[in-house]
Amino acid sequence: MKVKLSLIFSMVVLASMALAQTWDGADDLPTNPLACGMSSGGGEVAMLDYNGGMVSGGMSMAGEDIVLIDVPKLVGIGYFAATTAGQQKAAEQLGNVTVTTDAPTEANIDDQIAVIENYIASGNINGILFAANDPVAIAPVLRSALEKGIHVVGYDANSEPDAREWFVNQAEFNGIAKAMIDSLVAEKGEDAGFGIVTSTFTTPNQARWIAEMQAYQESCYPDMTWLETVEAQEDAVLSFNQANTLMNKYGEDLHGILGMTSVATPSSADAVTQAGLCGEVAVVGLATPNAMKPYVDDGCVESVVLWNPVDLGYAATYVMRAIVDGDLNPGDTSVMAGDLGELQVVNGSEILLGAPFIFNADNINDFDF
Amino acid sequence: MNSNTIDPIQPNPTKSANFGKRLRSILFSQEGILFIILMIVMAVLSQLNENFLTSSNLLNQGRLMSEVGLVALPMTFIIITAGIDLSVGSILGLSAIVLGILWKNVGLPLELAIVLCLVIGSLAGLVNGLFIVKLDVPPLIMTLATLALYRGLAQGVSQARSVTGYPEWFYIFGQGRIFGIPTQLWLFIFGTIISIIILRRTTLGRYLYAIGHNPVGAKFSGLPVSRVLLTIYAYSGFMAALAAVIFVSRVTTTRSDMGTGLELDVIAAVVLGGTSIFGGKGSILGTLIGLILIQLLKNGLALSGVTSDATIIVIGTVLILAILINNFVQSRREG
Repeated sequence: MKVKLSLIFSMVVLASMALAQTWDGADDLPTNPLACGMSSGGGEVAMLDYNGGMVSGGMSMAGEDIVLIDVPKLVGIGYFAATTAGQQKAAEQLGNVTVTTDAPTEANIDDQIAVIENYIASGNINGILFAANDPVAIAPVLRSALEKGIHVVGYDANSEPDAREWFVNQAEFNGIAKAMIDSLVAEKGEDAGFGIVTSTFTTPNQARWIAEMQAYQESCYPDMTWLETVEAQEDAVLSFNQANTLMNKYGEDLHGILGMTSVATPSSADAVTQAGLCGEVAVVGLATPNAMKPYVDDGCVESVVLWNPVDLGYAATYVMRAIVDGDLNPGDTSVMAGDLGELQVVNGSEILLGAPFIFNADNINDFDF
Repeated sequence: MNSNTIDPIQPNPTKSANFGKRLRSILFSQEGILFIILMIVMAVLSQLNENFLTSSNLLNQGRLMSEVGLVALPMTFIIITAGIDLSVGSILGLSAIVLGILWKNVGLPLELAIVLCLVIGSLAGLVNGLFIVKLDVPPLIMTLATLALYRGLAQGVSQARSVTGYPEWFYIFGQGRIFGIPTQLWLFIFGTIISIIILRRTTLGRYLYAIGHNPVGAKFSGLPVSRVLLTIYAYSGFMAALAAVIFVSRVTTTRSDMGTGLELDVIAAVVLGGTSIFGGKGSILGTLIGLILIQLLKNGLALSGVTSDATIIVIGTVLILAILINNFVQSRREG
């Protein structure tokens, strides 16, 4: 009996230890908050030396047909369907590029690595486009691709810089963070209390944005109250439930919910609508326009922050072609990307797509993705 | 009257009948059928892509398979006793985090951190065993609970931050080779041989089958049921921790969500290998063939240009077919 009791006791202790922990969901990296105020970001861009990787083997394929494989974090969600659409559009315009999208159906680091390993082993690809589920975990397999003479370009979610040649950055982290916080302040004032619905605490982009949001909010709007960050994978039902939990737990203290993923934001908006709290609780977040149109149209959501993922996929494909053709080399400060015109090189080996875009009732119906 | 007079055409009927019987029993055993299916699958896949049947590809697949494989060995034991361990993926995550935290945040030497990581994994398995044995909690319920609990602990301890920057020598476990064979494949081969010996040649192995067939009977026959169960659940935790070390070394980072869903891959391989989920039946050889079949299907289909989502469908279909064929053949044999 004593054994049993002590076993149960130790389990309870362990469980309460686990429960007692709360997280803000931010990462440890240094932050770089932008200046306060409602101006549209776009601060100084630091010039660094090229810090990307090098592909080995001197076989030039300039102007020749190339076969690319695109490995996003996962397939089956609207966001990556949009980047795929952009890649197909670019491939069609260029005429000498074939892109196939293949990725696991869940955002799992091990499965993603296995997909890339298999394509390298198949021996019939010239380049890899990727959006990493983990920046470090994906690095060894990408390095082995570079060693085999396969070009590597990232988009959406970066790897370690030396594991790929270039990375197409959709928007700088501090720019997104500023847009999110500023939008919330515009709706609910400088002393709003808010909660965050994110994917998981280990997802690199989300952790980075949250860290930047924290830094920006602390320096610019110190009176805001950061209530809690909750995890909801990238799962619609879970996101809905977590948003409800926030509303029930904090009641009147909750003035806004920030959705950090394209799944969490519409689900949170849905939860707020169903709870009849439109106007009381603002929803601001990252999301694709189609998913948000109903909530923006009925006035429950005022602003949706994002870049254009179609352009992101489009730019990544053009960047890959430019590398193969020798039009983009270490040290260059810009690259031509078809309809998008000239894109700037930042942070050594990143290509910046532009400033974040805010969808609202005025413009959201102009977009279809 | 002896058999010679009954059948004068056969000069030595006992010997040749025995040989035929043995051949048939090998060929039509669970493992035999699976092996034939594996050969057919490999033959088809090697026709689809010339890079499939190359030593570099096969060794690489062995490398990727080893983590699931190491955990599948104790899982075979556990399922033979009519138990199950759903918490292996979470134990992997927890052990990985312990390794990272002890080394980076506590500042222990990495060698010591590896040892402690294996200890923690074994303890996590032992806790499963203690509840199952002492409190009679059904294994499914207990390990379902610790599936959540260990994952939560991993998140709590790590604060959901990852640990990176391991020294170069550590990558030998996950990325290195010894005599041209990936390091973890050696570990897996070694573990497989040990497990085969335990199951076929030791009393512990006999106990496992006895417990699976009739747990009450085993207990009243004076078998050390509690000790056996504690041992195999701790073994399961140990192997999950070993897989964690390899995984961390392979992907060069530690994350608290490592090993999510591992339990399903492991159980699929074990059950495909002919181990009965109701206990009392199964073999390491079957598990090994099950593992290889699933791994090579995934790889071979990907190499021939089948996308990941379609691959899952094919694998699901092959799983069902393999089990149906096996059931059909087994019932014919018994009938």
